[in-house]
Amino acid sequence: MVTRRRKGPLERPDRPYVALGLEGSANKLGAGVIAHLPDGSTKVLSNVRHTYVTPPGEGFLPRDTAQHHRDWALKVIQDAFKQASLRPQDIDCICYTKGPGMGAPLHTVALVARTLALLYGKPLIGVNHCVGHIEMGRLITGAQNPVVLYVSGGNTQVIAYSRQRYRIFGETLDIAVGNCLDRFARVIGLSNDPSPGYNIEQEAKKGTQLLSLPYATKGMDVSLSGILTAVEAYTADPRFKTNAAGPQDETSDIITPADLCFSLQETVFAMLVEITERAMAHIGSKEVLIVGGVGCNERLQEMMGVMASERRGNVFATDDRFCIDNGLMIAQAGLLSYRTGFQTSFEESTCTQRFRTDEVHVAWRR
Amino acid sequence: MAAESGWHTLDVRVPFVSNEHAEIARRVIDVDPELQPSSVKRHLKVEDNVLVASFSTLTVRLARLTINSFLENLDLVIRTIGEFGDDAAASA
Repeated sequence: MVTRRRKGPLERPDRPYVALGLEGSANKLGAGVIAHLPDGSTKVLSNVRHTYVTPPGEGFLPRDTAQHHRDWALKVIQDAFKQASLRPQDIDCICYTKGPGMGAPLHTVALVARTLALLYGKPLIGVNHCVGHIEMGRLITGAQNPVVLYVSGGNTQVIAYSRQRYRIFGETLDIAVGNCLDRFARVIGLSNDPSPGYNIEQEAKKGTQLLSLPYATKGMDVSLSGILTAVEAYTADPRFKTNAAGPQDETSDIITPADLCFSLQETVFAMLVEITERAMAHIGSKEVLIVGGVGCNERLQEMMGVMASERRGNVFATDDRFCIDNGLMIAQAGLLSYRTGFQTSFEESTCTQRFRTDEVHVAWRR
Repeated sequence: MAAESGWHTLDVRVPFVSNEHAEIARRVIDVDPELQPSSVKRHLKVEDNVLVASFSTLTVRLARLTINSFLENLDLVIRTIGEFGDDAAASA
């Protein structure tokens, strides 16, 4: 049986459409340029990013993050145009992250977007950050109608598309899974370069024992803050040795940071796989698309793959160019929106820290 | 703009190269309301090529925070105009 993607409301464009996307809702500042071509294909023209990395043990605060974005915005945007071999006047619209995210950093990017829009007379498109991740994941992987697991430092949601909305089936009741991992990385002093999550993943590979942690799925949702407290509590355990490295034999009663990273990952990832499976069972889907920074984690992809193959399904994921926050995803979601006739009026080109994924009218899909 | 009695006022005049650029800066910054509209009043206008910003705040601390934030944002807008302004004019 041939599976054909159902034809959407967007016809092939009569000419190339090009969009600039600007992203800065957390500590990544990104600018990307994307083109929708008359043959129906989509072309990545550039994707430039600079990340604000804090010293080990420190997280990023809104004020300093906004300062980082102010320092880097113009350079990143110029590089995005240069690598795309385009000039600002060549683009059709300027897309920026309206939300959700951190207030001051979001606002910094919006100021630049507005200024460019007025200088060049281009329309502005305010984009939902989560929808950006989803549309980029769909584009890169070609997944037809997957259950989407969106997992990052700021968001943890299970999403499925229905009737022009990305509907939230399950989510975290408190903190995002990336936030949980990042904060634990800080407690054990891991480097934030390139990201705390990456370093937790590497450390976890050296773990040799699975320690008991609360398993907190709540129906279709998860709760993570208690698990963070529990894993942090192990660092006060007399058996915990900061400097212990290498495999321990069974007689030595030692807990290493690697053991804790391993136990934390196994526990929270299993919970995420469970709530994803619930959504798949609910809507009868066989595809999982993992998006968001935590989606880079290969152990999560592996565990999800085990579940999906047991259901004779597939897991789709992208690499770190696209799953970590980037400007290109904002350009993609924004351009799809623009081509359906959507625009954000200048007076309404604000930012908002809270912007639910299902608030967006997904007019570009049937 | 009439200040409330007992409030602190600040007036800032920022010259731009042209009236167009001053208008751009005014429009860009004016989109967002002040975070505490009950204790901070802001009024922006353009006279020829000068952006005139008037602030009135309930406390001195708010005056410092407000003007600091305004200048940080304005600096970013000015640098953006500086970086792209000539190219934009050339392509108009």
